[in-house]
Amino acid sequence: MSDADKRATKADPGSPQPGQADSPEKRFALEQERRQRAIRIATPFISVGIAIVVGSIIMLMAGKDPIAGYSAMFSGAFGGPRQIGETLLRATPLIFTGLAVAYGFRAGLFNIGAEGQLFLGGLAAAFVGLKVAGLPWIVSAPLVIISAAAAGAAWAFGPAIMKAKLGAHEVITTMMFSFIGRYLVSWLVTGPLKSPGLIPQTVQLPPESRLPRVSDVFPFVGANRAHIGIILGIVAAIFIWWVLKYTVMGYEARAVGFNPWASENGGISVSSTIVKSLCISGALAGLAGAVEVMGVHWRLFDQFSSGFGFTGIAVALLAKNNPIGVIAAALLFGALSAGAGTMQLEAGISQKVVFILQGLIIFLVGAETIVTWAISKMSRRGAADAV
Amino acid sequence: MLSEIITPELFASAVRLATPIALAAIGASICERSGIVNIAMEGLMLVAAFFGVITTLFTGSTWLGVLGAVAGSLVFAALHAWSSINLRSDQVISGTAINILALGVTGFLMETIFGHPGTTDSVDRLDPVFNFPVGGEGPLATIWLWIDTVFLSYTPIVYLGIFFAIFLTWALYRTRWGLRLRALGEHPRAADTVGVSVLRGRWVAVLISGLMAGLAGANLTLEQVGSFTENMTNGRGFIALAANIFGRWIPGGAYLASLLFGFADALQLKLQLFSDVINIPPQFFLMLPYVLTVLVLAGVVGRALAPAALGKPYKVKG
Repeated sequence: MSDADKRATKADPGSPQPGQADSPEKRFALEQERRQRAIRIATPFISVGIAIVVGSIIMLMAGKDPIAGYSAMFSGAFGGPRQIGETLLRATPLIFTGLAVAYGFRAGLFNIGAEGQLFLGGLAAAFVGLKVAGLPWIVSAPLVIISAAAAGAAWAFGPAIMKAKLGAHEVITTMMFSFIGRYLVSWLVTGPLKSPGLIPQTVQLPPESRLPRVSDVFPFVGANRAHIGIILGIVAAIFIWWVLKYTVMGYEARAVGFNPWASENGGISVSSTIVKSLCISGALAGLAGAVEVMGVHWRLFDQFSSGFGFTGIAVALLAKNNPIGVIAAALLFGALSAGAGTMQLEAGISQKVVFILQGLIIFLVGAETIVTWAISKMSRRGAADAV
Repeated sequence: MLSEIITPELFASAVRLATPIALAAIGASICERSGIVNIAMEGLMLVAAFFGVITTLFTGSTWLGVLGAVAGSLVFAALHAWSSINLRSDQVISGTAINILALGVTGFLMETIFGHPGTTDSVDRLDPVFNFPVGGEGPLATIWLWIDTVFLSYTPIVYLGIFFAIFLTWALYRTRWGLRLRALGEHPRAADTVGVSVLRGRWVAVLISGLMAGLAGANLTLEQVGSFTENMTNGRGFIALAANIFGRWIPGGAYLASLLFGFADALQLKLQLFSDVINIPPQFFLMLPYVLTVLVLAGVVGRALAPAALGKPYKVKG
C-alpha cells in the first residue's frame, strides 16, 4: 500500500472505527492531516512565487524593470510555435535528469553527478549512432538509446559500489565522476572521435540514429525545433512512476530511502538496492545525453549540455520527487531557460538570473518550514480580519 | 628530466595549490564536527572569490578585498546556518541551493557590473610576506634556495591556512569550546541537557566554515589568479569535503590531506610542460585531482568515523 493509500484510508470518515469517528481528538487530527497535506501540495507553487518576487527585487536593485524582464521571458518561452518548441526542446533533457535525481532521492541517494552520466550517455549515443548507419531507423534508434542508458548506468556504477561497500558519500563520488566524464568527452572529441576540420566535434549522425522533429511527425504544429524526445520523456516519467509504485524493485528503493535499517531487518538487501537505484538513476541521466545528441545537435562536442544534470536537481526537488510532477517542473525550467535569452536581449537582464531563481526555488522547497510559516502567518491574519 | 620536475618550485606550488582546498577542508571539518553538513563550501568559495575581486576593484585595496571576500562568504554561510539549524531543512539540499545561488549571483553581478560574462578585470595581488635574497653558488646556496622556496615564499593567506590548521586542531581537542563542539556533533541532546546551546554552537561552527571558505576564495583570486572567472572554483569545494573525510574530521588532518591534492595538481601542471616528451593528452592530467579524490575515498571507510549526529536537524525542546 502506498503512502497516499494509507492516508486516504486514515482520512476516510466512513472507515469502520466505531465510537472514534466522532471524537473531537480524531476530528482535530484529521483536520491537521488535511492541512499538512494541503501545505505539502502548495509548497512548490508558493516557492516558485516567492522566488519570482525575490528575483524581481534583484532585478530592481540592478536597475532593471522586472515586469519588462518577466514579460520578455514569457514571450520568449510561449510567444508562438517556435518559442513553445524551444521550451519543449529544453524541457526534454530536464525530464530525464529530473527523473534521474528523483529516483535517486526516493532511494535516499543524492545523484549530484547526473551531469557526468549525461555526458557518458551522449558519448555512447554519438559513438553507437555512427556505427548503426545503414540499419532501419526502428532498429538503430532504440539501439542508440539503449547504449546511452547503459553508459549512464555504467558511469553511476562506480559511485554506487563505493557507496554500498565502503560508505563513500555519493555526493562527492558522483561529482568527481562527473568531472572525469567531462574531461573524457573533451579528450575524445578533440582526439580519437574528432571529425575532420578545425572544430572539436564528432561527425554528424546519420538520419537513422536521429530523433525526428515533432513538426516532421505532426506538421500542423508549426515550425519548431522540438523533437520526439519529449514524448519519450513523458513515457519514461509514467514508466518510472509505475516502477516506484507497483514493482518490487520500486518498493525496495522507497523502503531503503525511507529507513535503511528497518529495510535490512525486513529482508531487503540495502547494498544491492543502493547499487540498482543509483544505476537506474544513471541510466536515466544517460538518456538525457541521448536525446540531446540524437534530437538537438546530431553530434557530440565539449559543451553539448548546458548544465542539464544540475538543473535536474532543481526539477526533482520542485516535483517533490514525484515522476509525474517532474514533467511539470521540467516544463517550468525549460520555459525559464528558453525565455532567458529573450529576456537578456529585450530587457537587458543577464540570463544568469535563472540560476538565482533555481537556487531560490531549491532553497525554499528544501526549507519547507519557511513556506509553512508564511501560510500560517497569512491564515492567522485572515482569521484576525474575519473577527 | 626528473631533476627538472622535482624542483623546490614544485613543492611550493603544491602548497599554494593546496591552500584553497585546505582552508575549505578545515572549515568543513569544524562545521561537520558540530553536526552540520556543508556541501555549500564550493558556492561559498565562489562568492568569496568574486566579492574579493569586486571589493578590491572598488576600493583599490587588496586587503579590503580580503575582508569583502570573507563578508560575502559569511552572508551565504549565515543563510545555510539559518536554514539548516533554525528551519531544520535538509542540509544537503540547502547546500545545493546555495551552490546554484552562488553561480547565479556571481554570474548575474558579473554581467551587470562588467557588461559581459567570463572574466573580470585584473586586480593587484597580495605580495609574498618575506622577500629574502637567494642566489649564489655551492651547496649552501642550494639548501637556502630550497628552504626559501618551500617555506618562505608564500603570500599571507597561505600562512593563515597553516596557522588555522594548527590552531583549530588545538582548539578542537584542548579547549572547552572544542569539547562542546564535538559533543554537538556526536550527541546534541546530551550537550543540550548539560546546558550547551546547540543552536549557538552550530551557528558559530557554520560561520567559521564561512570564514575559512572566504579566505579560500580570497586566496584563489587575490593571491593566485588576480581576477575572477565564472565557476572558477571548479569542484575544489567538493574536493575539500573529500580531504576533510580523508583527514578524519581533524583540521590538521584535513590540511595534510589537501597537501596531497595540491601536490597532484602541481605535478600535473608541471608534467603538462613536458607534453612533447610524455605523449599523454592534457585532459588526463586535468582529471588527476578528481581521480585521486575517488581513490582516496575508496581507500577510507568514511561512515564509521563521521560525527554520529552529522546531518541530523536538532529540535530544541520547548
